[in-house]
Amino acid sequence: MREATIAGAGMTRFGVHESTLPELFADAALPAMDDAGVEAADIDALYLGNTMGGQIEGESHLAPTLASHVGLAGVPCQRFEDACATSSNAFKHAVRAVEAGHHDAVLVGGVERCSAATGRETDEMTRIFASAAHGTYERPTGLTFPGVFALLTKRHMHEYGTTEEQLAEVAVKNHYHGSLNPRAHFGKETTVEEVLEGPIVADPFHLHDCCPFSDGAAAVVVASAEVAAELDCDLVPVAGVGHATDVVPIADKAHPSVTRSARDAASQAYETARIGPDDVDVVELHDCFTGAEVLATEALGLVEDGQGGPAAAAGRTSLGGEIPVNPSGGLKAKGHPLGATGVAQLVELTEQLRGDAGDRQVEDADVGLAHNLGGDAATTVVTVLEAAR
Amino acid sequence: MTSDLGQYLSDGELGVDGWTAALEDDRLLGQACPDCEHVTAAPKAACARCGSRDLDPVELPEEGTVYSATRVEVAPEGFAAPYTVALVTVGDARVTARIDADVEIGDDVRFQGATESPEGLTPLFG
Ligand SMILES: [Zn+2]
Repeated sequence: MREATIAGAGMTRFGVHESTLPELFADAALPAMDDAGVEAADIDALYLGNTMGGQIEGESHLAPTLASHVGLAGVPCQRFEDACATSSNAFKHAVRAVEAGHHDAVLVGGVERCSAATGRETDEMTRIFASAAHGTYERPTGLTFPGVFALLTKRHMHEYGTTEEQLAEVAVKNHYHGSLNPRAHFGKETTVEEVLEGPIVADPFHLHDCCPFSDGAAAVVVASAEVAAELDCDLVPVAGVGHATDVVPIADKAHPSVTRSARDAASQAYETARIGPDDVDVVELHDCFTGAEVLATEALGLVEDGQGGPAAAAGRTSLGGEIPVNPSGGLKAKGHPLGATGVAQLVELTEQLRGDAGDRQVEDADVGLAHNLGGDAATTVVTVLEAAR
Repeated sequence: MTSDLGQYLSDGELGVDGWTAALEDDRLLGQACPDCEHVTAAPKAACARCGSRDLDPVELPEEGTVYSATRVEVAPEGFAAPYTVALVTVGDARVTARIDADVEIGDDVRFQGATESPEGLTPLFG
């Protein structure tokens, strides 16, 4: 099997953008192609992540439109849809296609607009996001996305004694990291008091336990090691990708707060990369809510079960700590344009493993891990990247 | 289990229409898997644990225990916040439901029937 690498990476600032989806996508895709040192003629396919464009902006059949906009008209295109895990699923398939020899170089990108600049109010956007829950058994209860993670987190708090203060510490950490990232939606630090004084969205989550509605795009060029070696690029090998799902609806999961799909995807990725959690130097994980980060650090084996909250509070997961989590600011501070999030995690890790992450650089980062979750904790994709030797 | 469930079944199977019709009658139905013993309050074409298609429609107990709960204060379009959504353990199954009381995990609650929402019918406990 051939080895897949990330040859180039690009992304927009996350936040509020007035531009159209094709314009926004180009602002990530063209820099990714330039970074890889490839021309349009070198790209064999487009694998696209966009999850809510049909509902939010009335845009369907987006992939060929975006391909045409960035000079790739004619290549095979496909749009992936797996709620918030959309673009890491697109990435997984691009990696598989390159490994299998179907393609030599694939543009993988994600783009989404979720902010109020789309003309959607908070309650409309909350309804649209909730469409990722089960239509018969969850949506009629009024379950929202914060609500889904609130149910998981409340159970975790009950079982392990995780506190609201510990949850707030996750937000404080990720806002601090985001303040070091010029592409972050939020560049401002926060405090535990500020988080706890904020209005409740779905208890135990206050406003600042939740990621924002963001616009943005991210892209990478996935190329075979042979092709990448010929390019003028600083390549980052893909060491392993795991992808698993869990039962829908959440009520049917054997043990909802354990986030089974994350554990299964992580063990696949670790096994393929022939590493364990102790070998990971830097992590970008799906902290759509502070509680989601606590659950994910445990599911990925970075901390012991039940220790996700105390670990964040003790600084174990901060920049400079033993296992830095979300140096980009994560979804919490960097932002969460759904379909762009998975690839944006890989853009951050590519920069970290190249040693190009500036003020938020994790020292001696050789192994990076991304965890991207979608739907009611049903889909998880875990990717391991390793610095080129 | 319960003998009078036939009216809610289609070809002997419990589908969304039957589940919803039972809820309209203030009855909470589910499915039990005879192969792996998984019981669900969210009926499917096959067992979510083992894939068996040989599922028994069952009426779930009315007494339950709160497994987890959250008070939603920012609601989707059409819903009036605040309200509480919970995962409630009923016998060997768990159901996603609305709760018309302030509850903590571990509290005993009782099925109150169906409640209407802009997205359809949902079980109510209290
Ligand atoms: Zn079964």
